[in-house]
Amino acid sequence: MSRNNRGFEGPGVQGAKGLRRQDYFFSAMIFCAVCLMICVAEAGHLEPFKSVPVPKNNPQTPEKIELGKKLFFDRRLSGDGTTSCADCHIPEQAYTDGQDISLNYPTTKNWRNSQTLINAAFYKNLFHDGRVKTLEDQALFPMMSAFEMNQNLDFLEEEIRVVPEYAEAFKKVFNGEPSRERIAMAIAAFERTLISVNAPYDRFLKGDGSAISEDAKKGFEIFNGKGKCADCHDGVNLSDDKFYALHVPENPVLLNDPRVTATMRFVAKVYHYKDYRNLKEDPGRYLITKDKKDWKAFRTPTLREIAKTGPYMHNGVLATLDEVIDFFNAGGGKGNRYLKPLGLSDKERKQLKAFLVEALTGEELKISYPEVP
Amino acid sequence: MSAGPVVKKIMDAYKGKVRLVIKNYPYKYRDYAHIAAEASLAAGDQGKYWEMHDLLLKNSPKLDRESLIKYAKELGLDLTAFTASIDGKKHAAEIEKDKQLAVGMDLYTTPTYFVNGRKVVGNRPYEYLKQIIDEELKNVTK
Repeated sequence: MSRNNRGFEGPGVQGAKGLRRQDYFFSAMIFCAVCLMICVAEAGHLEPFKSVPVPKNNPQTPEKIELGKKLFFDRRLSGDGTTSCADCHIPEQAYTDGQDISLNYPTTKNWRNSQTLINAAFYKNLFHDGRVKTLEDQALFPMMSAFEMNQNLDFLEEEIRVVPEYAEAFKKVFNGEPSRERIAMAIAAFERTLISVNAPYDRFLKGDGSAISEDAKKGFEIFNGKGKCADCHDGVNLSDDKFYALHVPENPVLLNDPRVTATMRFVAKVYHYKDYRNLKEDPGRYLITKDKKDWKAFRTPTLREIAKTGPYMHNGVLATLDEVIDFFNAGGGKGNRYLKPLGLSDKERKQLKAFLVEALTGEELKISYPEVP
Repeated sequence: MSAGPVVKKIMDAYKGKVRLVIKNYPYKYRDYAHIAAEASLAAGDQGKYWEMHDLLLKNSPKLDRESLIKYAKELGLDLTAFTASIDGKKHAAEIEKDKQLAVGMDLYTTPTYFVNGRKVVGNRPYEYLKQIIDEELKNVTK
């Protein structure tokens, strides 16, 4: 399987193993990044970008990616024809919608933040609560959701089947007619092209000591050491894909706006949470697992492109990176069992921010808009 | 958060510097969206656009004809002129023109802002729009 410039890796090709610490030390020594070596010894396992994982049952092809892109921008995917995937994952906003609480189906309200799709291909747990394992499974959820796209999938299949350009494209790509599964596969293939590449951080990890500024290097030390960021934000995607209850403050609209409250209750009801009418906070992953330890737990997000993907946290309640750093520096939310105050000075906080902003922002992700049939 | 208070705060803060143009975009699947747009413009004819706008948002979705007339009465409007305006769909052509403009620009979300051509989709806090406006004002004075 060949690779394109975003490093797709197909079936039969080993996934990115990343740099082992020993390898990393070696390359770092060559480039005399001595201070870096010291802090990496304290850090989680960090890897530069190499390739994108692709499932065996949905290999990437240019035609499938193009079809997925058309579907991604197609408003037919929503019940009233007003909303496409791109409404809440806007290319110019780093595939978020830039809002604290995501945009919504007209007349309803969402209740959580729209995550960036950049590097979503790396997650093994999708959505803030990790309710699905693959991009293929993920793609259909917002279409069906009453407060997102509110579409009936049986109806959608027929809507797509009657469009000659789509019928032809599905035949070419899948050797069959449009179906919900194939729609999801095509969209997932497109989403696997949304990858943060050539970030200064990658060059730095590969040994280019000049890739980031001195402040950002100090920030990297903090990221790996005193700041404990790399304890969870590790691997190539800077996410351990696990769930933690950090007790992020609730977004006030959860209870102040009856429509947001209604959405919270609706989701809890769908997941058979008995006391859904008396909910006062987002139960997070608990709704999926019913495990007490998952109460208010959410999946660690990627930090790739973090400068562009605010507002932050599952409910967008932290507007800026400064607020996020302050939150962690203060030991997280009240009563959480994972975080302790970090004691970062003002200077250290600035250095950490310099690393996050400067090092983790990759090449601009250019997109040519498709002609939706 | 709704758009109205933010827009009003901007207009207060940037008096003489920002010109506000409002376009109507009644949602096609709401029973009363069109008549509510008519009501806001009819109130505007009598100098009470924002007052009606606020009442409509406050009382949504109770926006049937009788309720609209009640709100007009609350605002002390000339009820004969107001009722004739909404019944006669006096502003229908203007509203339709706005809708066509939006569709032509591939817009489907309310509110959508344009600040000197820079598109901002969805409700935004004052600070968010302020930053864009400040940047644009800086460009203008260059």
